[in-house]
Amino acid sequence: MTHAPEKLNTPATLLLGIGNSARRDDGLGWAFLDVIREQGQFAGEITYRYQLQVEDADVIRAYQTVIFVDALHQPLEAGFYWKPCLPVATFGFSTHALNPESVVALCQELYGEAPEAYTLGISGYDWELAEGLSRAAIINLRAALLFFEEKAMKY
Amino acid sequence: MGKKIVIDPVTRVEGHGKVTVHLDEAGHVEDAFFHIVEFRGFERFVQGHPYWEAPLLVQRLCGICPVSHHLAAAKAIDQLVGLEPEDLSPAATKLRRLLHYGQVFQSHALHFFYLASPDLLFGFDAPPEKRNVVAVAAENKELARKGILMRKFGQEIIKAIAGKKIHGIAAVPGGVHKTFTPEERDYLLEDNETPSADTMIEWAGEIVRFIKEYHDRHFQWLNSFARYPSGHLGLVGPDGELELYHGRLRAIDAEGNITLHDIPGNSYLKYFTEGVEKWSYMKFPYLKHLGRKRGWNRVGPLARLNVCNGIPTPLAHKEWEEFRDYTNGQTNNCTMHSHWARLIEMLHCAERIKELLLDKDVLSTDLVRKGTPRPEGIGIIEAPRGTLIHHYKVDEKGMITKCNLIVSTTHNNEPMNRAVRWVAQNVLSEKAEITEGMLNQIEVAIRAYDPCLSCATHALGKMPLQVVVLDYEGKVVDERTKGEGAGLEACETGVIPDF
Repeated sequence: MTHAPEKLNTPATLLLGIGNSARRDDGLGWAFLDVIREQGQFAGEITYRYQLQVEDADVIRAYQTVIFVDALHQPLEAGFYWKPCLPVATFGFSTHALNPESVVALCQELYGEAPEAYTLGISGYDWELAEGLSRAAIINLRAALLFFEEKAMKY
Repeated sequence: MGKKIVIDPVTRVEGHGKVTVHLDEAGHVEDAFFHIVEFRGFERFVQGHPYWEAPLLVQRLCGICPVSHHLAAAKAIDQLVGLEPEDLSPAATKLRRLLHYGQVFQSHALHFFYLASPDLLFGFDAPPEKRNVVAVAAENKELARKGILMRKFGQEIIKAIAGKKIHGIAAVPGGVHKTFTPEERDYLLEDNETPSADTMIEWAGEIVRFIKEYHDRHFQWLNSFARYPSGHLGLVGPDGELELYHGRLRAIDAEGNITLHDIPGNSYLKYFTEGVEKWSYMKFPYLKHLGRKRGWNRVGPLARLNVCNGIPTPLAHKEWEEFRDYTNGQTNNCTMHSHWARLIEMLHCAERIKELLLDKDVLSTDLVRKGTPRPEGIGIIEAPRGTLIHHYKVDEKGMITKCNLIVSTTHNNEPMNRAVRWVAQNVLSEKAEITEGMLNQIEVAIRAYDPCLSCATHALGKMPLQVVVLDYEGKVVDERTKGEGAGLEACETGVIPDF
C-alpha cells in the first residue's frame, strides 16, 4: 500500500509539531521541527503546539497538506510510523485536546474540505518532568528524520 | 456480591485519573471517588532555577491555560523584585489584564463549544459518536464556527501581547516585555479574518441568551443534577465586584454567609491548608477555621458569581443580576449552572477587552518598574477554572528554593468528588446495568468544573475512558473502554507503510 503524497516540500505544506519539551520525550514533535527548521530545506510552514485544539481546524484548511508530528506512547521496532491521517471524530474523556484525526474531521465538517493529512508518530519512553530527550528517543528521532528527508522531502 | 465500578481515563504522564463507584452486595452505592493527580512534580522541577525563569517555565504546566500560570507566577515574581501590583506601571498592569481576559475568554469558549455543547445539545443518552464537537459542527455549523472564531480572537490577543501564541514572553519581573502597537490594537478592534471586539461582545451576548433559553426548556434537570451545598471561593475587587486579575479572597458558605472576609492573597497560608486522602494523589484545600469537612470550596465561574457583589461591566452585570434572581438572591449550588456562569464571564471578558483596547495606556512604552528584592513572593489570580495560587521562595542568589502551587482543579477536588457521589447515588445505584448514558452523567458532572486532567502532554495513542467493574474481591466482572486514542488503528505496529 502506498501513502505517497503528490508533493510535500512546498509552501502549501504545514508541518505541525505537538508536544512539550519540559516532559522529556514528549518533546519529540518539537525536536523534529527544530531540526527541520535548522536545516532550512523545508519549503512549507512549521508550527508548534502543546496540544491540538478546535481552532486548528481553521488553521489547517489553508494548506494542501498537513503533517502532524507527535511523540508516540507505543514502542515501535522502526522507532516511528508514518500514516495517512483520515478524518475520524474520536474523543477522549474530559480532555481539551483533539487528536489529529478529529482536527481533520472538524475541518472537513466545517469547511466542506480538508487538506491531505499524515501523521508521523515517533516512539518515546520517558515522560517525566525534565528537559532533554531520552537516548532511545533520540535514536527514533534520527530514524524519523532520515525517513522524512529521504522520502518525504524529495516529493 | 459487592462491586466496584472504575472509570479510568488513562493518561500518559499524569498517571491514572479514575472514578471508582463502590457498590455493596445489594447494589447500593456505598461511596464514590474521583482520583486525579496534580502538579507536585512541577513544583520540584522549578526548584534551583533562577526566579525570573519561573513565568516561562510554568507555561509548560498546562497546554490549555499557560497564560494563567504565566501571570500568576509573574505576580509572585514581581514581589520577589520588591513590587506590589499597584507599583507596576499602568501600561504593564493593563496589558497583563488584557492578556488575562483574552485567555479566560478563549478558554471559556473552548469549554462551552467543545466540551459542554455536545452534552447540552444531544443529551446524556446520545451515542458516544455524537457527543463531540464534530457532531455539533454537523448539526449547527454556525455555532461551531463562532466557537472557533471566538477561540481565535482570544489567541490573537495572546499573540499580540506575548509575541507568539505559545513560547511567548508577555510578563517579566516588574512589568511586561513588549509594547502593544496601534496596529495590533486596531486589528482587534476591527472585523477582519478575526472578528472584532464588538463582534465578540455581540456573540457572547447571543450565547448567554442561548443558555438562558436552554435553562427555560431544561430547568428541571439543570436545577437538580449534581446539586449539593458547598462553600464558594474567589477574588473580589475593592467594592466586592467580580475580579479576575487581582483582588482579595472571599469565601461564603452554602447559605451565603461569609467565611473568609476579603483577605489579601499574601496571607493565604494563614487561612488555608491542604488535606490528604489515601485514595487520591491530589490534595484537598480547605479553610483551617472550618476544618476539613466544612471548609472546602468550589472555585471557578459559579463560585465567582456567588461570592461577588456584581460585575463591573454593564452587559455582564445585567446578566449577573438575572442569574442571581434565578435563585432569589441565594447562593447558587447547582453544578449545572456553572455553564451559565461561565458564559456570563465570557461576556464580561469581551466587554473588558474592548475597554482596555480603547485605553491609551496600553500603548505606553512605560513597561517595567524596579524595586528592592525580597525572598518570598505570592501571586494569585482567577484562572478560567478558578483561584490559582503560585508561591515562591528564593535564596540570596535569586534561585528558587521552594515552590507551592494550588491550582484550580485542586480546589475543586472535593466538589468534583461530591458531584460524582451525587451521580453515583442518584443515577447508578440499584441499576442492574451500567449504561453509556449513566456513565456519561458522571462525565457531565465532572466536566461542569472544566477540570484540567490533561495538562500539557498528549502523545498519540492515549486518552481512553476505561470502565471496569470489579467484585468485592477485586476481580473484574465487566470491562468497557471508550475513547481509545486514535493513532495506531490504521497502522501495523512496527511497520512503516510503503511510501
